[in-house]
Amino acid sequence: MEAIAFYTFAILTTVMFLITVLTSHALYALSALAAGMIFISAFFFLLGADFLGAIQIIVYTGAVMALYAFGMMFFDTTRDVVEKRTSPQLIFGLSGVAALMVVAIFTAPIISGNIEALYPAIDGVGNSQMVGMVLFTKYLIPFEVAAIMLLVAMIAGIVLAGKKMDHSLTLMQDEIECINEEKEQV
Amino acid sequence: METAYFIETIIKIVVILLVFSALAGFGTYFERKILAFMQRRLGPMNVGPFGVLQIAADGIKLFTKEDIVPTNAVGPIFKIAPVITAATAFMAAAAIPFLPQFTIFGYTVHPIVADVNIGILYILGVMAVGFYGPLLGSLASSNKFALLSAARAAAVFISYEVITGLALLGPLMMVGSFSLIDFNNYQAGGMGDWIIWSQPVAFVLFWIAAFAETGRTPFHLVANDHEIIDGFGTEYSGMRWGLFFIGEYANMFFISFVIVLLFLGGFGDGSVFGALMFLLKMSFFFFFFLWTRAAWPDIRPDQLMWLCWKVLMPLAVLNVVVTGFVMMF
Amino acid sequence: MMSLEQFENRNVSENGYYKVDIESYPETGWEKAKQVFSRTIRGELFVGLWVVMREMLKFDIHTVQYPKEKLPVGPRYRAVHEMQRLWESGTERCIGCGLCEKICISDCIRMDTRIDENSRKEVSEYTINLGRCIFCGYCAEVCPELAIVHGGRYENTSEQRAHFTDYEDMLTPFDMAVKGQVPEYPGFGAVTPHEDERVKSTPLAY
Repeated sequence: MEAIAFYTFAILTTVMFLITVLTSHALYALSALAAGMIFISAFFFLLGADFLGAIQIIVYTGAVMALYAFGMMFFDTTRDVVEKRTSPQLIFGLSGVAALMVVAIFTAPIISGNIEALYPAIDGVGNSQMVGMVLFTKYLIPFEVAAIMLLVAMIAGIVLAGKKMDHSLTLMQDEIECINEEKEQV
Repeated sequence: METAYFIETIIKIVVILLVFSALAGFGTYFERKILAFMQRRLGPMNVGPFGVLQIAADGIKLFTKEDIVPTNAVGPIFKIAPVITAATAFMAAAAIPFLPQFTIFGYTVHPIVADVNIGILYILGVMAVGFYGPLLGSLASSNKFALLSAARAAAVFISYEVITGLALLGPLMMVGSFSLIDFNNYQAGGMGDWIIWSQPVAFVLFWIAAFAETGRTPFHLVANDHEIIDGFGTEYSGMRWGLFFIGEYANMFFISFVIVLLFLGGFGDGSVFGALMFLLKMSFFFFFFLWTRAAWPDIRPDQLMWLCWKVLMPLAVLNVVVTGFVMMF
Repeated sequence: MMSLEQFENRNVSENGYYKVDIESYPETGWEKAKQVFSRTIRGELFVGLWVVMREMLKFDIHTVQYPKEKLPVGPRYRAVHEMQRLWESGTERCIGCGLCEKICISDCIRMDTRIDENSRKEVSEYTINLGRCIFCGYCAEVCPELAIVHGGRYENTSEQRAHFTDYEDMLTPFDMAVKGQVPEYPGFGAVTPHEDERVKSTPLAY
């Protein structure tokens, strides 16, 4: 039962991500990405990590939704995107690296026997509590570092986007001048 | 045991699907009637007694209408989008306890499909996926109004997911569980135990976010009839459009159940009176969705963003911090 | 039926209309914040909720269930024509003068006359093509005998336009006219109710 579910979702996820990479249609790529991200959560549920599964769905639906927003801005999502290949050398190099990584990933189970769980699951404790415990004991520093990085990114984003915040995008320039003149007259 | 559980689950799924599909139909009837009464009209009157059979007439019409896929639309995605909305609405229902457990013919029935221990997270996640329906539908239909609707859907979704999550953190910290059954048991002691008394801010925030989540009137931007025709539904016809409708109304019912379970004591101690009160409270929240539609204007997208990021989110964060301090000391 | 005086009163200032006082929009951030705060405190949203709830509870329904109920039509409404008869004698009022045919701007009235055995002019053929008629009312206005008038029958749905042209349908039934059951036409082209007060003696200055 579990094996059937695993292989089904494995095939589904792989197919979805393949579509994401291979299609030149922005809407197909984004939708396949979203579907793949949601199918990944199935693996968490299969492994009994309900909390992480739900978080995977919530986080990635939001993240891909932001990508959709960009897609909407940059492409006509109902048409194929014409791609420009400027440096075939770079593509060649990158695909070589990717192939190497795939080999590494597939050979990884050979040494996986050396890995053992240092923090085995505790009986009678819920899934989310367990995540919380591990997060605030063993992984406290990576967790906090990640939090700080996100904070930095957020502030940087605000600074970048907020440079011209006091300028109105909707009013035309001469309208603004008109308003200013009126104010001066008053 | 295993087969009995299996059969029970199947029956529960079928019952929920049937009941809520029917309720979605009746929801449209109630909406028309209540809106009509509030505007001094009569609403549907001619089909059946008091127009009740209007639902059947609409159903027949939707099923038999020609299903049009526009030439320039992205076919597969255009076709799958309404299914996403309807399916996710019903998937979310799996973790909602609709009634207290009761015994029938000596067999105890739990009216919940799956009491997963991350219930509320699961519901939020699946409802979030539900937003893909309008988004994909509008992006795929290659229509200007639909595209505007897609932009609005993305904006509303990204902002109000934050509010829902942050508003829920306070009650979650108090209860210490994601399961809606645990939420209910936490408040089982009577009216004094309801989370609304200790978390009024979270309650109001969650309620506001529920309007955004279901796309109801003050935040009815995604398909605002007087600005962008029907938004994502502009190019849809027949039953595909009907699926969007069923999804929307089912979502309204489910979110009403969730609000009552989270903040207003759910079904209490599980007695018959508690169950009746549960349904009554749920009906009030459903009614409120219709009430606001009659009373309030729609707000602009920029006002929606303003409200979300400058008012509601700071309030939500403050609420979490205050809850934390109160619980610590 | 709505009375003519009521119908003619188009003076909106007497009917309780007034101008709404709209305050100016806030410009600075602080003013906006103040506006939001005051609106939140005043609970304007709840006022709106209360108003619609009050209307629902009052249940003062204004719907007219059309095929069952019909709204009264104004006396000067210009719908499908009627051909009047004289009271008591019941003869047709139309004297066949042909003014209506002449004045009709959409050219939809056709009539044929002949001299009958009593050496009186008689209308032998009279048609109004209602598919072309624009209901301007000139025919009723120009008729010296008040024979052709505009009635209140506005539900003219049919499979063919020819159905609209039947003279017999427009003609007042003979027995009703004899019994005096046909009310004198008050509408377009008719003598107004207080005509006697308006009559002045002709100045004989010459």
